[in-house]
Amino acid sequence: MTQVTTVDVLVIGGGTAGPMAAIKARQKNPNLKVMLLEKANVKRSGAISMGMDGLNNAVIPGYATPEQYVREITVANDGIVNQKTLFAYANNSYAMIEELDSWGVKFEKDENGDYAVRKVHHVGTYVLPMPEGHDVKKVLYRKLKQNRVIITNRLVATRILLDGEGKVAGALSFDCRSGEYNVIRAKAVILSTGAAGRLGLPASGYLFGTYENPTNAGDGYSMAYHAGAELSGIECFQINPLIKDYNGPACAYVTGPMGGYTANAKGERFIESDYWSGQMMQEFYEELAGGKGPVFLKVNHLAEETITNIETILHGNERPSRGRFHEGRGTDYRKDMVEMHISEIGLCSGHSASGVWVNERAETTVPGLYAAGDLACVPHNYMLGAFVYGRLAGESAAEYCAATQLGEVDEVQVEAERQRIFAPLAREHGLPPSQVEYKLRRLVNDYLQPPKVTKRMEIGLARFEEIRADIQNIVASNPHELMRAAEVRFILDCAEMAARASLFRTESRWGLYHQRQDYPEQVNDEWRVHVQVKKGADGRMTLFKRALEPYLVEPQEAEKFIYQHLRIRPETVPE
Amino acid sequence: MTHTIDFPVKVNLESCIADKGCTVCIDVCPLDVLAIDPATGKATMKYDECWYCLPCEKDCPTQAIRVDIPYLLR
Amino acid sequence: MNTELLSLLPLPLATRLIDADATVRRIALIDLLDEIDPEEAESYLVSALADPAAEVRLEAARQLEAQDSPEVVTGLLGALQDEAREVREAAALSLSAVKNAAIGTLLLQHATHSDAEVRTAIFRALRELRLPAAEAPAIYALADTHASVRREAVAVLGWLKTSAALPQLVALAGSDSDAEVRRAAIGALGFASDAATLPALEKALTDTDWLVREEAATVAGKLGLRELVPALIAALQDSFWQVRLKAARSLGRLKDDRAVTPLVESLTHTMSNLRKEVALALGEIANPAAAAGLEVVLDDPDTDVRKAARLAYGRIASQLN
Ligand SMILES: Cc1cc2nc3c(=O)[nH]c(=O)nc-3n(C[C@H](O)[C@H](O)[C@H](O)COP(=O)(O)OP(=O)(O)OC[C@H]3O[C@@H](n4cnc5c(N)ncnc54)[C@H](O)[C@@H]3O)c2cc1C
Ligand code: SF4
Ligand code: SF4
Repeated sequence: MTQVTTVDVLVIGGGTAGPMAAIKARQKNPNLKVMLLEKANVKRSGAISMGMDGLNNAVIPGYATPEQYVREITVANDGIVNQKTLFAYANNSYAMIEELDSWGVKFEKDENGDYAVRKVHHVGTYVLPMPEGHDVKKVLYRKLKQNRVIITNRLVATRILLDGEGKVAGALSFDCRSGEYNVIRAKAVILSTGAAGRLGLPASGYLFGTYENPTNAGDGYSMAYHAGAELSGIECFQINPLIKDYNGPACAYVTGPMGGYTANAKGERFIESDYWSGQMMQEFYEELAGGKGPVFLKVNHLAEETITNIETILHGNERPSRGRFHEGRGTDYRKDMVEMHISEIGLCSGHSASGVWVNERAETTVPGLYAAGDLACVPHNYMLGAFVYGRLAGESAAEYCAATQLGEVDEVQVEAERQRIFAPLAREHGLPPSQVEYKLRRLVNDYLQPPKVTKRMEIGLARFEEIRADIQNIVASNPHELMRAAEVRFILDCAEMAARASLFRTESRWGLYHQRQDYPEQVNDEWRVHVQVKKGADGRMTLFKRALEPYLVEPQEAEKFIYQHLRIRPETVPE
Repeated sequence: MTHTIDFPVKVNLESCIADKGCTVCIDVCPLDVLAIDPATGKATMKYDECWYCLPCEKDCPTQAIRVDIPYLLR
Repeated sequence: MNTELLSLLPLPLATRLIDADATVRRIALIDLLDEIDPEEAESYLVSALADPAAEVRLEAARQLEAQDSPEVVTGLLGALQDEAREVREAAALSLSAVKNAAIGTLLLQHATHSDAEVRTAIFRALRELRLPAAEAPAIYALADTHASVRREAVAVLGWLKTSAALPQLVALAGSDSDAEVRRAAIGALGFASDAATLPALEKALTDTDWLVREEAATVAGKLGLRELVPALIAALQDSFWQVRLKAARSLGRLKDDRAVTPLVESLTHTMSNLRKEVALALGEIANPAAAAGLEVVLDDPDTDVRKAARLAYGRIASQLN
């Protein structure tokens, strides 16, 4: 019942970054055997399953420079960035757009065929809409086939295999339909399993009503952790402004350039922050809870032609069931504002900053292990960042393979993992995975949802330990449920990291993402550092500070001025 | 009397061609919640874990699928 | 289907491809690309374009999307005349995703096809390829009887930035019966800061369709045509605030002092989007005469208007120092 396969490069997660990594590894060295391993089906997996509304962070010559972009993300992420990794993104952003365009991905262009970049922020111009962006996955699939990438679907990776020297030797996985155990030996492994999107419980109470694609349970965060890699910025949670209950994006970046905006109950804009960030979420949260709340998406002041256009995009791309949801509630963009809410918490460097620590070559701190996309710590990276880091990871891994021997397989680890994964199938009675997951995620809401409080998080940690015991009692009656059981463990690891990293950073930063009631101030002297999480030699979770790399570009005084100035409330504007 | 539960994913048994070899929706579903119903030979929702993302509906060659928003969110 | 080719396939798929039941054959085509290499799959799909059953031909046309070998393109061009409407549509869609410039000549041979749908599809595909050889056929197609063909031909020329087509584009912008063609033609002029385009833009700013007026206001700013400032100022009184907004944005880009007073007057419009754009434009022009007007919106109920006003106010203040 055990299948053993040997490849050169193994890419885990075939959503956005993963396919790009696999294609680029093959293009870098066509002699390599490259496997793309996916829990769902590469054709329609991941965050961009149904396409994307647009690029939120395009650095296109004539509209923005890499330096300007790096400065803005440095300010938006409150200074806690490794600018080298941001530059690696920004410098390669335009070439990636051009390449995707040549592959057939559709970006909005004006009547002269020039990219129709939109100004959404007051300072930089980074938004490139994709009104016909629904075919991204189709294009990627075609390229995977052309480049002869080996594709395996419905395999759930659970652990990274390490050899005696601590370098990567492959990964362990099982088939969520047949239940077959799969050992894949590889010289290099690229993790691109997306965000930890099933961490908090959506307010609807529905386990799968998440903002993120719920296949992404934080699998890669957990696998990297157990492989001994450093993770960073875990305390900088992801929280998004979403359509209430539907829990999908509204999406301000689509409607913004067309004249729509986020408003309070009076129909007025209230957001002072310029860039989607923790500060912005803080303002959103306050308005939501305040006297002028709740919060709405407002487009009912736009012309019929514009609204029809918005509907075509929002109901055809990205989360196309938005239209169906509005219909069910009797909401009409022409007349009504759309009620919004904030999402449950998650971990995601695509939107905020939590992830596996990588350098500008997408290398983690474990030899042979690479990371790209939402789970790699490169703040505010979004979809284009996933593609760029996918490329960097694929190319770096291909180079690494040339100078590396296949690692020995540790039979003890293989056997131990088999026992661990398949235990729920062998149990005759116990707890259903869905109930353990529900309770765990409800506890995440109760104890970790910002504003954060020390005592609450400590209680949370104790309750998580009880869940860890409950997991020894989970039963599964088929491989599908076994997959859900494995996911509960990934979620638990992420919850523990989220609590410990949040407790470690005894200050407040990033607005709502890390607002600590008992440490309300931002303390730059002590906390202008990265907070790292790592599995210690004793098998326990350790936390430590990592100094910031020196900045390559200083945020300009003028820019800081504009940002700070923008935050001033009207009543305090000096005469 | 047996009660059947109203699942969000509805398959039109007339137009579904799973009995002729089609597994498109079952293949593409990211959450792997669809399967062939042994009783009918047609596609059906096996696990109530739908993300209302719609690849099943979009890719079905005969437009046999209709996904409703799950009741808890409606 | 070619039996020599079939012998290469793993059996189950091979038998399904020649099954007596068309639906079975159709599904086999869907699975083809998952099981064999794309080049091989291509030849099966092309031969399936001649299948007796429309549903099989439809699937083949769909699955061939963006495949761009000459065989595929020839096959899809043939399918553009299929008796079944959905096959024709699928073929057109698949052709429009082709990215290989080398097959442009093949497409061009059909630029005067008798079916308007085919001509539209051809020009849509040509737009993406940006082939200089498409210029003459596209100019010819600007006089097509079908608006959809004219619209795509305009795009071909706009993307190629063909100066030789300017007179025709100008004419179309002013007089085409279809508003979308007029709008596209005005947009296509965005590469030519030529005196010849001035009358066209001026006229378009008073077009009966607001989307044409909006496009003209945008293009005026993109081209930086100061001669259009008076017309843009007039557009600040448009009955559609959306047109006013684009006019304000373009006036900001043109940085012309004549616009200051009319812009300040627009700061009190009820639509906050417009107030914001006007404040931003005043910031770009940075003329001290706007200071008093801007002060009023420093405590506008809308945050974005306030932000824009503060930015503008700051720019003016820093100029005074
Ligand atoms: C609803 C939504 C809207 C968005 N809108 C925008 C936008 O408009 N613009 C923008 O720039 N960005 C947007 N983003 C962000 C952007 O989509 C992501 O940053 C990017 O796609 C992440 O790519 P990824 O490869 O890291 O993850 P994904 O594309 O999610 O891929 C992760 C893959 O890993 C697989 N996987 C998970 N666990 C395992 C395992 N254990 N074994 C094997 N495989 C596994 C999953 O099935 C999945 O296919 C949006 C995101 C969402 C969710
Ligand atoms: S894709 Fe459509 S036809 Fe095929 S199995 Fe699913 S429902 Fe049936
Ligand atoms: S909507 Fe998405 S999750 Fe639901 S059944 Fe269809 S493909 Fe699966």
